Amino acid sequence: MSDDVTLSFPADTANVRLARTIAAAMAARADLPVDQLEDVRLAVDEAVSQLVGDAESSTIITCVFTLTGDGLEIIVSGHTRTGAVPSTGTFSWTVLSALVDSVSASSAGRRVTLTLRVVRHIPVDA
Amino acid sequence: MSPAPGQPRWGDEQRAHEKDLLRRFATLDPDDPERSRLREDLVLMHLPLVRHLARRYRERGEAFEDLVQVGTVGLIKAVDRFDPDRGTEFSTYATPTILGEIKRHFRDRTWAIKVPRRLQELNASVAAATDSMTQSLGRAPTVRELAQELDVSEDEVLDALEARHAYATSSFDPADDDDAPARSLADSLGEVDEALAAVEDRESLRPLLEALPERERRLILLRFFQNKSQSQIADELGISQMHVSRLLARTLSQLREGLTAA
Repeated sequence: MSDDVTLSFPADTANVRLARTIAAAMAARADLPVDQLEDVRLAVDEAVSQLVGDAESSTIITCVFTLTGDGLEIIVSGHTRTGAVPSTGTFSWTVLSALVDSVSASSAGRRVTLTLRVVRHIPVDA
Repeated sequence: MSPAPGQPRWGDEQRAHEKDLLRRFATLDPDDPERSRLREDLVLMHLPLVRHLARRYRERGEAFEDLVQVGTVGLIKAVDRFDPDRGTEFSTYATPTILGEIKRHFRDRTWAIKVPRRLQELNASVAAATDSMTQSLGRAPTVRELAQELDVSEDEVLDALEARHAYATSSFDPADDDDAPARSLADSLGEVDEALAAVEDRESLRPLLEALPERERRLILLRFFQNKSQSQIADELGISQMHVSRLLARTLSQLREGLTAA
């Protein structure tokens, strides 16, 4: 059984909260402490909002949540108007980098992908 | 004379009378006592419209008379702002203003009130347990640990956390009666400049950050530019971690809106 959960929805701000809710539920399954869980919720909110804001009309945003054993990986993707890889110099990027352990962006054609990785901040012996 | 309540369809005569009153009202000096008398007539005349609009929002748990009351506030605003020379019917002009007040009432009050009591209580327990367990564990607890501690299911803990984001803040957050900020405003504005040096959209961001209340600005600086955890910030600002999380979410979305508009 795979531990992936995939959520797809039309690029509309009204749908962003779906992604937030699933992010929180997956963060709980990954056994993250609640402050980190809330960070994941914020990070997904930021990443998805960013893509929705740049999205081509009527595109589908996809979020894939994967339990990685030591945390959680979240891949958010969708077609944007320009297909440009988000700049790492923006406030939005600063926010994402602070909220998760690593964030990277790539694009293929006009499909932009943001990958967020979260590692549980609990010592192994806890 | 006002039409009888419950009789929203007016004849030509009443319509002409309404126009006269509105026209006269618009010409009067704000201090003229006749103006307040005319305003009262105009408000009474259009109360049936308010009642009609408020009726759409019955069955939502608010007393009908309360809705009429807030709708009337909208009506008064509409009377004061209406420009008879624009050529719009007064009722067309007033309807969105009245509905706006009624909706605002729901936004400000009802959502907060209508959080199910059980969820409110659970939310308070989760917030308290999070803070005490953070003290004892030296880190924030997980959902699983909170569920064990409170003897509820993990789903219930998640619901309690979620509720804080889904509903209006006021039923959860203590009143924002801030203690004096730990540092002066100038300090934090200086830190803003320092933090923004590396951010390329700083020109649009700076005024937004400067416009934030001191506590929210500190929150943003601590979390995003100094990489403090939500628990550390809660400790530093003397508020609960859940409150930190809620304030961060709200402030981030405000900033995002501001940046998009810029």
